[in-house]
Order: sequence, then C-alpha cells, then structure tokens
Amino acid sequence: MLQPTNVPERPQRRVGAWWGPAVGISALGFYAATTVEDSAGREIGFNADHPWAVYAFMAALVGLMGYGFVRHAGLWMIGRPAPGILREVPHRLRNAARLGLAQDKVRRDRYAGIMHWCIFSSIVVLTIVTAQVAIEADSPFKFLHGPYYLFFSFYGDLFGVIGLVGVGMALYRRYLSDFHRIRWDERLEDHLIIVGLGLVLLTGFVLESARIMVTELDQHPDWAKWSFGSYAIARGLDVFSFSEQQILWLHTWTWWVHIAMAFGWLGLIVFTRLDHLFFAPVNAFFLRTDSPGRLAKIEDIEQQEIFGVGYIQDFTWKQLFELDACVRCGRCSEVCPANISGQPLSPMHLIQDLKGHLADVGTAIQRHRHETGDAGREVSSVALAGDVIKDETLWACRTCGACMQECPVMIEHVPTIVDMRRFLVMNEARIPATAQAALENLEMRGHPWRGTALERTTWMEGLGDVPIFDGSQEYLYWVGCSGSLVERNLPVTKAVFRLLGESGASFGVLGQEETCNGDPARRLGNEYLFQILAQQLIETFKAKNVQKVITNCPHCFNTFKNEYPQFDGHFEVFHHTEFLAGAMQSGKLVAKHAVNTTVTYHDSCYLGRLNGVYDAPRQIISMVHGADLTEMQRNLSKGLCCGAGGGNMWQEEVGERRVNHVRAEEAVRTGAQSVISNCPFCIQMFEDGVPAVHPEEEGRMKPFDVAELLEQAVFGPGTR
Amino acid sequence: MHIVVCAKQIPDPETPPSAFKIDAASNKVIPAQGIAPVLSQFDAIAAEAALRIKEANPGSKVTVISMGAESAQAAIKQVLAMGADEGVLLNDPAFEDGDSHTTATVLAAAIKKLGDVNAVFCGRQAADWDMGQVGLLVAEDLGWPAAIIAKGVTTGGAGLQITRVLENGFESLETPLPAVVTVSNEFGEPRYPKLPQIMAAAKKTVTNWKVGDLGLDPGAVGKAGSRLKLEKLFIPEKGGKVELMEGDTPQAQAAALVARLMADKIL
Repeated sequence: MLQPTNVPERPQRRVGAWWGPAVGISALGFYAATTVEDSAGREIGFNADHPWAVYAFMAALVGLMGYGFVRHAGLWMIGRPAPGILREVPHRLRNAARLGLAQDKVRRDRYAGIMHWCIFSSIVVLTIVTAQVAIEADSPFKFLHGPYYLFFSFYGDLFGVIGLVGVGMALYRRYLSDFHRIRWDERLEDHLIIVGLGLVLLTGFVLESARIMVTELDQHPDWAKWSFGSYAIARGLDVFSFSEQQILWLHTWTWWVHIAMAFGWLGLIVFTRLDHLFFAPVNAFFLRTDSPGRLAKIEDIEQQEIFGVGYIQDFTWKQLFELDACVRCGRCSEVCPANISGQPLSPMHLIQDLKGHLADVGTAIQRHRHETGDAGREVSSVALAGDVIKDETLWACRTCGACMQECPVMIEHVPTIVDMRRFLVMNEARIPATAQAALENLEMRGHPWRGTALERTTWMEGLGDVPIFDGSQEYLYWVGCSGSLVERNLPVTKAVFRLLGESGASFGVLGQEETCNGDPARRLGNEYLFQILAQQLIETFKAKNVQKVITNCPHCFNTFKNEYPQFDGHFEVFHHTEFLAGAMQSGKLVAKHAVNTTVTYHDSCYLGRLNGVYDAPRQIISMVHGADLTEMQRNLSKGLCCGAGGGNMWQEEVGERRVNHVRAEEAVRTGAQSVISNCPFCIQMFEDGVPAVHPEEEGRMKPFDVAELLEQAVFGPGTR
Repeated sequence: MHIVVCAKQIPDPETPPSAFKIDAASNKVIPAQGIAPVLSQFDAIAAEAALRIKEANPGSKVTVISMGAESAQAAIKQVLAMGADEGVLLNDPAFEDGDSHTTATVLAAAIKKLGDVNAVFCGRQAADWDMGQVGLLVAEDLGWPAAIIAKGVTTGGAGLQITRVLENGFESLETPLPAVVTVSNEFGEPRYPKLPQIMAAAKKTVTNWKVGDLGLDPGAVGKAGSRLKLEKLFIPEKGGKVELMEGDTPQAQAAALVARLMADKIL
C-alpha cells in the first residue's frame, strides 16, 4: 500500500479517548479502596438542618426546565416539518454518542477539547455523586460505606479537581489570553456560567472539608485522605484552630450557598447557552446522515406557495432547533473564508441573528397561527432575507462547509444560507448582476461561462480520435463546462484524456451534448433551474446507458454523486484523481519520468471536506518521482476554500480582501514552485490570486491540476 | 395603458466564432448546432421599460408580439415570465425572409388588430442585423410619433416623457399617446424573472396570427414584399502579415523600419 509522503498525521479520533485515563485512575482507586476496613462511612445530611431544601430547589429546577422546554418547543414548532429526521436511527444514535457525548468536534481545538472534557466530565460525575447521596439518604438502599464509600470520596474529589482545572483553563482563555473568537459575541451569561461553576466547585470543597474537620480529621484520618482535595483544605484550615462551633457555622452557611449556587447554576441552563448540554447531543442526533455536499431537494417545486426561506417559519423545525444549540464559540466564523477575508458573513452571527429574530417574532407567529390558522408570514414587518440577514451576507457564502465541519454542536449553516438564497432568487429575483448573468447563461446556453469563445469540442483539437460515448464504453469521461469552455482548464482536460487513454480505460465523452449538470444554479439558489437541468441530464445519461462517470471537476462529482440520486439518477462517480490514483496503484499507469519540483497541495472543498477525498490526489503526487510535497498550514478537512465556491466564481467580491488572495498567500508561504489542485475553479482562482500576492514574475508559483503534474510524469515533460 | 413590446428571437450573439457558419449559396446563417436562438437583448430591455411603466400605472397591460419561427415562442415566454400579460406570435411562411419594411408592415397590422394599444416599445435595434429601422417603420405605418434610442421612459405630461441618447448628450422629449419608443441599453438591465411568474407564463397560451388573420396581402410581406436585396453574406477574413526588417545591427534594422514606415506614409 502506497502511503502519501509528507502528509501530516491525521489525529485518530476514538470515541471517548479521554475517558481512558479517568477510568484507569478510578480503577486503581477502587482497587486501593478494597484494601481498607469495612466500617468507613459518614452521616448523610451531616449538620444540614433543612435537607428538604434540596428537594425544594430540585422541584423548582424541574419546573423551570419544563417551562424552558415548552417555551423553546413552541418556537421550534412554527417551523416546517423536517422529513426523514427519524430515519436511520442507529446511525443517528452513533452520531449522538460520537459527536454529542464523546465530543469529537469539540476536540478539533485541542485546548478547548481538554477544557471542555474537564468541565463536562466533572459535571456528569458530580451529578452522579450527588444522586448517590440522595439515594443513600432517602431510599432504603444503603451502599455508601466501607471500601465503596472511600472510593466514592476519592472520585468525587478527583472530578471536583478536574472540574476546577477545566474552569481554570476557561478563565485563562477568557480573561488572560488574547484568544479572540470567544469574545466576538461575549455576553454577561458567559461570565456567570464560568465564574458560577468555579464557585459551585469551590464551595463544594469547602463544605466537604468543614465536615471532614468535624467528623474525620481526628477520628479517621485514613478515611479523610481519600477525599484528597478536601483533606488538603481541611489540613490547611486546621492550622487556625477554629472551634468546632465555628466550623459548624461555616459548614451550615457554605451548605446553603453551595446548594443555592448549584441549583442556580443549573437554572442557567434554561436561560443561557448552557442549554447546549441538552441541545448539542440532540442536535447530533438530528444531524444529516447523508453527505454534507448535498443540498435538500424542494419536492413538488411547482406546487409551492413560497420558494426557499423568506420568513423564519419557512425553516424546518430542525433548522430552528439548531439555532438554540449555538454556543457562540466562534469556531465557524474563525474558519469561514468570507469572514477571514473581511467579507460580510460570519456564520456565528448569522445563526445568532436568526435566533434573535425567532425570539422576537416567534411568539407572535405562534399566536397568529393559533388564531387564524394561516402561515402568519405578515406578522413581522421585518423581512428575514434582506433585513435580518443582509443579501450580501447570503451571497458571500462559499458553501465550503468549513463552518459545519468545525461546529461543535453540529449546526448546518450552509443549507440554511442556501434556503434563504433560494428565496432571494426564485421569489424575489434579487441577485448580484454577475451571478444573474451566469444563471441566464445557464438557461440560455446550458453553461455558466458567459462570453466564452470556445466550443465544447475545442479541447479535442490535436488529440486525434476522441471517442464519443455511445453506451459501449465502461466510463463516461465528463469534461464539464469549465473543462471545455475556459481556456485555462483545457490543458487539464487534455491531460486527463491522455492519462485515461494510457491507463487503457474504456471511455467516451459526450462532446457537444454535454450541458451543465446544474451545480451553479443550485448553489446560487435557483433550485428550479437546477431541477430542470438535472432531470434533462439524467434522461440523457439513461438514454445513453451511462453507468460510471469520471469527472474533471469536484463540483460535477459532488452533484452526480450526492444530488442526482434525489432525482433517481444513480451512477458510480469518480473524480479523475480517484480514478488515476487507482490506475497507478494497479500498475496501469506508470510515472516513468521524474518531475523535479516542489509542490503544495490545495484541497478543493467539494472533493476534500464535502466528499472526504484527501488521499487519492496526494497518493498521485507521492508517486511522481522528484515531486516534493509541502503541506499548507490549513489542509485536509481544515483546508481553506479558494474563494470560488457557492457560485462566487461568478460574483464580484465585497469586503476587505479577496479569498483567493488569502489562500494564494498561504500557498506561496510554503515556498513551493507550484500549487496543485483538483478543481477548475481553484486553478482559476490561483491563476488570479498568486500574481496578486506575488507580483514579481520571476520565480512565481504556478497553479496546476494533479492531472497536469501526472501527465508530465507519465509522458515526459513538454510532450504535448 | 396598453403597451405592446416587439420582441425578436435571434441567433445567439455569443455563438463561438468557430461555430458561426454561413451558407454562401442561400446567403443565410446556418443555425449553429446545439446553440439555441435567444431573445434580442435590446428587446428584453424594451420589455423592462414597458413593465416599469406597467408597475407605475396600475391597471396597465403589456402584450408581447414577435414575428418569427415557432421557436420564437420561447422569446415570448421569456417576456411573459418577466411580467407581460399576453403574447402573440406572428408565424407564417409568408413572413419569412423579409426586410425591415415588411417586418414593420406585419407588426403594425398586428398592433392595429389588437386595437386599444397606447404605446409600442421596441429594442433600439435587433442584435443580429443591427438595422434599427423596424421601430420607426412601425410608427410610420401606424401614423404615430416615434422616439428612438431612449434611455428613460416614464408616463407624464402629455403622455410619455422620454430621455434620448445623443452622440454627445441627452435629449428630453414629451410625446402624446399613442407613440412608438425604441429603447437603448442605457436604460438598464432587464429583470430576472421570479419563479411564480415563470410558472404562470408557462401556463399562458400564446396567440398565433397568420397572414390572413392580419388581413395582409401575402405579396406585400416576407420575401415577396421585400425591397431590400441581400447581395452577399460572408464572414470577413482577418489576416496579419509579418515582415522582418533586415539589417546586421539594431541601428540598421531601425533605419530600415523607418524607411519602410515612411514609404507606407505612416511616418
């Protein structure tokens, strides 16, 4: 098996990897505890005059949570149905466990991962600890004695300390470091949550140490040591030689403060982002089970009264639900190419603005529905798309999926943004002029490249006989509009064509009969046009008996692979890098010639992040002798978009910088001679971006497709 | 207010040069394979002008008429999708291969048949032959005033207030109704149709009038009535010629170049 060279090791994400040490320490503790005498134990409810108060607080909390749930649920329910959300339950449960409980996404930021695990595990374990105390106190089951009592004391303290470590890390990040993203939308509740939790944990320790000073420190010092945290505090306080009365007084007051603060803190769940405690794992359950590259189909589009989302109640209830899961951590905006470039889109603020709008108008819509039974679109005079979320915000999205990849609570921003675009385009016909031109061109000419002087067959010139697909060949080589109509992409098409031929593959092309598969229309929000183009092409494919498709372009790849099945178009789809890597591995393609060069590799979003193809292109590069790969800092699933995605290929950018300049800078920084990609858009963006950030012509980095590199390695340099 | 928009379907102006072919024998453009004809952009702009007046004057109506092949239905549907109310296709073999004059005759007859028309909007010229005559000839046939190459048209005053584009400035006019206006690209971009309107347009039926419906003499329209004869249709050949200046030294080459340029009276 060939391994790609120089690829940074991808972290292995095992479920609950960080529980390992905790379980190990606990097991050791349990073993140690079994070695001591059986009589260990303590009086439950020691010195508490009003233990019932706990249940009073609890009842209040449950009531509050019930109120909170009903209030939230009422708002979610103004949304449209979310079909299919209860399909594939096992898969969804796995997601809830992996992404919700094990917090795979949280850990993509290592510091936050450790911090969050400390806090999360501490709260879980200490809740279990408290529950055991309640059972011991108020049920016939008595088990807090002997070795288990000591072990119980030990892990209670252990997770108390772990919780404080987490709180310390959070305090450091929020107040001492210059860590920006968590301050992009900082609110009072953020301080309350973290300071409150720290105080709950600290008062817990003080409480326990006061009890230990009275009941264990002198009487059973070997028991006391198991509560190592409180034991240390007790020993410290012991220096002051307080009277027992004073300690009992301290205990009583700390008890009240601790209980009140603990329940008060839990009450924050209802009113603050702490509700992610429940919403995050549930949203992981609701997370799509299909490819993130697929956009939802509008069923029976001609029967709709409204197209896309123009009002908050046009979202599905799942889309409204996930607004509540947002914790304002800023991870989405930190990786968003538009935000990075100072363009008017920050996914976090978009989600928060939607959430705020829902809170503003949701109740009124609910009431209106209840009274009149109609959709209540005129309840608010504020338009969702345009007023709450600005048009230019929606157009700045690259649909690159970086936000969704990073979101620790599994919010799906891109479908939400495209839903609003759909409204702008289909309902309101409000589109940036250049994007409109691309859409009109799709309608009139079946390709988005207005003004091209090329024909679909121009690339074939000089290549001899180009086989036209007639159903007898195994593969259809899908050239795509860029591959045939954009000057710069023609050499890539030729390279793939020659390599396919060399590999001995049986394939043909459609030539003049190719038409756009609709990807730009769908990304730009014209679902209607997309459906027309898709259905036409699927009919053509079926008529020609197409089974397997090799695409030039990752956008075509994604559309055929993930979106055509929505229209009963099922084809086996390969991106050219996948096919060529396979042909090399099976020895059908041999890179005979060395190409001595240094390269860096740019993951296109639609091949990489949205379809998980990271290895094939890197394998090809690694099998080219002499090609030395240096990775960019942002790569693989963290790769940055070239700027063209989501129909931005056909839009004027607004904002401080162009995304392709930012990305070109990152590529140039590697010092490599060329930047290799796999997508016609990326290559065009680099062709424009590299000269902008590296004005001197001499020694300037050159953008190439993987196939262009491989062509040189297979046929020798300059053989075409 | 009832406005008629005259719309022409033309070969796609964005046909790649390599795909643009001419049949020398019949003096005709050979339709490029796989490249559908389109609505002339100037006519789309005329439609935009008409629709803005319709929106500003509730109760107004816009009818789009097109003389052409059956495929011109697509151009009519496009204007209907933009917001026009009715469409009329003037499709008859007798109308084929005419000139600007016969085209205007047919269009004017259709406008007369519609009856209650207050204004006719045309593109400043069709984007294929670029003659720019039909609008004026329609006005002539109807006996109406005409304003050509307008960058602004609104209702007001005696009827319409129009800003015309001149070579070095603008001209403001006012015309009583009925009138004919040809609209220029300076007017602005035509709108992108909204999906509900596209679907409504798809359901509308386009009226089809033949030469008999218009009460026209077949000998007065189309090729038979045409006064303009097309002598020869051809693609001009473009070529370049390179001549290298002889000379052993750069100075000698430069001297030869100067001599050559002076001989050609360029210097």
